[in-house]
Parts: sequence; C-alpha cells; structure tokens
Amino acid sequence: MKQRNITILTDLAMITCIVQRGNGDGIVSAARDAGAQGATIYYARGSGVRERLGMLGVTVEVEKEVVQIIVSTDQLDTVFNTVYLAGNFDTPGMGFMYVVPLSKAATYIPQEVLAKFRQ
Amino acid sequence: MTQEIRYGEFQRRCDAEQEQISYNRLTPTVKKESNGKIIPHIHPPIVLRPLDVYRLLKNYTSPRFMDQLRAVVPLAIYLVLFQIFILRELITDSWIITGGLLMVIVGLMFFMEGLRLGLMPFGEVIGNTLPRKSKLPVVLLIAFLLGVGVTFAEPAIGALKAVGSIIQVERAPVLYALLNEWSTALVLVVGGGVGLAAILGTLRFLYAWSLKPLIYYSVIPGVLFSAAAMLHPEVNKVLGLAWDCGGVTTGPVTVPLVLALGIGIASAAGKGDNPMSGFGIVTLASVFPVIGVIALGFVVAWTSTPQEIIAAAKIAAAAVPSTPAWYEESPGIDAILGVRAILPLVIFLFIVLKVVLKEPVRNGGMLAYGILLAIVGMVTFNIGLTYGLAKLGSQSGSLVPAAFMNIKEVALSPLYSYSLGLTLAVLFAWFLGFGATLAEPALNALGATVQNLTNGVFKKSLLMYAVSIGVAFGIAIGLLKLIFDLPIFWMLLPGYVVAIVLTYFSSEEFVNIAWDSAGVTTGPITVPLVLAMGLGFGNVTGVIEGFGILTMASVCPIISVMITGLWVRYKAAQQTDESLSSSLEAAAL
Repeated sequence: MKQRNITILTDLAMITCIVQRGNGDGIVSAARDAGAQGATIYYARGSGVRERLGMLGVTVEVEKEVVQIIVSTDQLDTVFNTVYLAGNFDTPGMGFMYVVPLSKAATYIPQEVLAKFRQ
Repeated sequence: MTQEIRYGEFQRRCDAEQEQISYNRLTPTVKKESNGKIIPHIHPPIVLRPLDVYRLLKNYTSPRFMDQLRAVVPLAIYLVLFQIFILRELITDSWIITGGLLMVIVGLMFFMEGLRLGLMPFGEVIGNTLPRKSKLPVVLLIAFLLGVGVTFAEPAIGALKAVGSIIQVERAPVLYALLNEWSTALVLVVGGGVGLAAILGTLRFLYAWSLKPLIYYSVIPGVLFSAAAMLHPEVNKVLGLAWDCGGVTTGPVTVPLVLALGIGIASAAGKGDNPMSGFGIVTLASVFPVIGVIALGFVVAWTSTPQEIIAAAKIAAAAVPSTPAWYEESPGIDAILGVRAILPLVIFLFIVLKVVLKEPVRNGGMLAYGILLAIVGMVTFNIGLTYGLAKLGSQSGSLVPAAFMNIKEVALSPLYSYSLGLTLAVLFAWFLGFGATLAEPALNALGATVQNLTNGVFKKSLLMYAVSIGVAFGIAIGLLKLIFDLPIFWMLLPGYVVAIVLTYFSSEEFVNIAWDSAGVTTGPITVPLVLAMGLGFGNVTGVIEGFGILTMASVCPIISVMITGLWVRYKAAQQTDESLSSSLEAAAL
C-alpha cells in the first residue's frame, strides 16, 4: 500500500475580524469574493468603543462574531482591504481586525493541483 | 539599479493603499500618583461623523426591520391580491392601511427590541436570584403575579378588547357585557389563568412532572366546563371567546418572560438539565384562561339579567354622542392602552427586584432605553393595529362572503355559484392560515429547537409544515363554523377528544412539542388579523359572534403534530425492524 503523504503549506497569514453578531456572514462573503477560501466564525462578547459612543452605544451589539480567515501572504492585503471596506471598519464600533503570520498549515489539496506542482 | 520581485509581491504593493502608524503613538500614557498607584484613565467620548451615525443606525435597524417586514408584507399582499383578483374589489382606504401596516412593522420592531433590552433582563435576574433568596410560596406568588402582569402587556390582548364594540348587544348580551363593562375583569381572569399556569409550570420544572397528566387534569375539566356552559342559553355564546383567549395569551411577551423565570428557578434548584422542561408552560397558559373566562361568563349571567345588560348598553350608546375626549378616541386610547400595558409590568418587576430581592439594578440606562422602546413600540403597534391590520382583516373578512352570497357592498354578488364560492372562501382561509403560520418567526425558532432536541429525527421543516397545515385546517374549519353558524362546542369536543387520545399514545417529547407548538405560533400578527377577519366575516353572514377561528387554529396543530410524531416514530421503528431482520438474514446466510 502506498504511503500517505502530507503536503505542508507555507506562506500563510490569518486575518481575524471581531464584528458585531450578525455581521460575520457579510465579512465572509466579501473575503471569499476577494479570493479567500473560507472562514471560521465563533461567538464572543466584548465591548470598549461602545461605552464611548454616548447615546448611539445602544446600536452596537455586545455579542460579537469572531471571523478567522486564512489566506496566502500574496492575497493578504487584497483580502484585508476588501474586508476592511466591506465591514465599514472606519466607523467606530463596527469591528477590529488583525493579522498574524502562520508558520505552516495542512488541509485537503486537490490531486490535480498537487500533480501540477510535482512536475 | 533594478531589483527583481515576484509578481504577487508587486501586485500586493500596488493594491495596498495602507499607511502605517505605530500603536504606541495612540495609546495614552497613564499618570501615576506619588506612591506609584495608577490613576484610572478616562477614555474620551468618540466624535462621530454623520456617515458613522448613518452606518451605525442602519446596521442596527435594518435586520430588525426586515424581520417584521417578512412577517407582515406577504400576508398583506396575499389579502390584497385575493381581494382584487378573486373578489374584484379594490381596497378602500388603501393609503391608511399601508400607513397602518408600516406602523405595525415599526411598532413590533421597537417592541421586540425593547422587550429584549428592557424586560428580559429583569426576568432573567429574578429567575436566577429569587429561588435562592425566597421560600417556595413567595416564588410561586411572584410567578403568579408575573403571569397576570404579562397578560396585560401582551399586544394581542388589545385586539381582543377592541372587537367588543362590534358585538350586537341584543343577540349576545353576556358576551357583550364581558367585552365591554367587564373587559378589565376579563383580562384579569385571563391573566389569572396564565398566572396559575406559571405556578404549575414552575412546579413542573422543579419536580420534573410529566406533562401528560397535567394535560388530562386541565383539558378534561375545561371541556366538561364548556359542556356545562353549552347548556346555558346565554353563556354558550361566550364559548368561542373563551377558547380564543387561550391562543391570544401565549404571545411574544408571555412565553419568553415566563420561560426565563421558570428556567432560572429550575437551574437554581439544580434541575435545569432536562431539555424538555422548557415546554409545557405555554400549553397550560392556553388552557387555564378558558376555564376562567367561562366562569366569568357564568358570574355575569348570574349577577345581571340579559335585559339589564341591554338596557345599560342602550343608555351607554345614547350617552356617546357627546364628543368623546381625546383619550377616548382612536389614536389617544391606543396610546393610553399601550402605556397601561407595559408600565404596571415594569413597576411590578422593579418592586420585586428592589424590595423582595434587594438586588441592585445593573445597566440602568440600557434598561430605561429598553422600557422606553417597549412603550413606544406598543403604542405604535396599537395604532397601526387599528388602522392597518385590523382594518385590512375586517375588510377582507366582510368581502369574502361575496364569493358565495349576496351582500350589498358588492354589486354583482354572489360572484360565483354557491359551491364554487364556498370552496374559494374556504381555500382562501386555508392558504391564509398556512402562509401566516409558516412566516411566523416563532415557529422557525421552535422548529430549530425541536430538531436539536430530537437529534434530527423530527426535522425542522417537517414540524413547520405539520404546524402550518394544522393551523390552515383550523382556520378553514373555523370559517365554516362562521358560515354555517355551527355551535363551537361540537367542534371543540371531537378536536380535544382526538388530541387527548393521541396524547395517551404519544411519547412524552412529542406531547410537549405538539401542545406547545399551537400556542407558540399564534403571534402578534396572526391573532389580530384572524380575529378582525372573523368578526368582519361574521358581521356579514349574520352570525352572533365571530370568535372560534383561533380556537380551531389551536386544536388542529396539536393533532397534526402528534400524528406526525407518531408517524415519525412508526417509520423509525420500521427501519430498525428492517435493519434487524436484514442483519438476521445475513447472519442466517
């Protein structure tokens, strides 16, 4: 039996966006349009800016969605900018995003793609 | 000198319109006292651009607005299209109705948000701390009072009171008295029923009682009591109202608040782990008020003769022409009713929190905002109800009979032959019930819960269709009751007998789901619409009262969901049988 191979991916980065509950899906679809493969969403709670908005603080949901998108370093800035604009991050209370470099990752890679690189 | 870079790198540098700034330059330097202690930093408020305000408001309002829009608009469109194409009548006052519907949508949006921010936190805090600080009798007393309070706050109760003026006093004096002079007593009795249900539901949470005996002990007396009322010449006209009240009470205020209290009590007692314990209160809350209303009917019939009521109504009617004060006319009285519905409940919750529990009020500003929203929403909803939903409903209701009988408002009526027209009217009611129920957001939530609880055996869509088909048949049967003026008791009896027999054979989970689904799904849009339609319809066809549609819309889903539950179980059993026998065959080979 043929031995199973693990192909390691390098040159990755993770964009993490913290947005109000309900806004995560919009972020994900914008990121996918910009070339990202997919995203993970989980729920959290957080506040900070909300207390400084005065009356309008009520419009900011305390419940948050944390969206994690893993991208290649080449597409990083395209996705980053798209998400920033789609999420209106230049408005207070709409969210926070940051990038961390990843040293390696592994997942399913289609056979034909692998074959192309082995040639 | 040229430097070679990868294309990706090149593209990245072109794309990125980014400038960099060190976060160190943005964070404040915190001052320290002489002894080295940090002086707490005060973050200055943020100055917003108009664009920011717009974005924040849009992000906040649009999903909440869309939620209500999705529930109201399809129904309104259906009614309008049916009226134009099948009945060939244009909508009168279409602009007022459109404005009214918009107010219903906006009012519900405000109200739901206010409920979430202003009332639910009270319910949760009280539910969590009450059992730890007070003895069981006090807990039960507060559960009871809460049940009464939430009934007053229920939006659909207003609709019930509003229809009282349409009843002709000569034909049903007791019913008329109940909905007019006795209307406060009526709501109190209904609230008392809900309060009792809250007590029993809480005890059920604590001692993990089965729902089945509770159903037997509450529904069977209810039906027997109805039989007694049936024999009384005046009280039997109250039956339709009494059973309709059950569906009205279990709306968007009662269900979450009473549940929050009950679940809090159960988890404080360490018994909150049964996933099914959340169910059941809704069922009891829709049965107890029935008994209360019938009893009140008897009280009215004993204390005053029909002649007295008619005479009193005549005097009251004669007194009306003196111009009513602003608070007795439509927008004014709607506003007052709205405030009167929310404020007592809030004050009661506040007193419980402060005096009984001695808990501090956390997040006061947010609570005040929520309560304000709830009141504004309730007032807007009430006004919209009068001018939009109820108006449209009664218009459609009064025109639908034109399909099969001669009414003076429609020139060419009857529009169709009797049998075709009747079929059309019944089909109209069926699809109205089906669509309205399927669009109800509460049903979607219930479906998701049920699918989780049954580990996917009972699919969400299956439950939604089972309930919707049940409600559809219920409304169609209710319409037939209005057309042929059938006595409601003879429709109740078989319905509840079948429901009880099915309850006996069903498993505990499906009993819980089935009896609750009916109450949960008759929400703040369906109830006023169906009530108004029934009354408009009843006025034209000349029956005594237009109640009873909601009654049937409550029984039928119970039956349909339990039949579906039995079918699902039968299917599952058959599959295991098959897999068992096939594995046996395989073993034999």
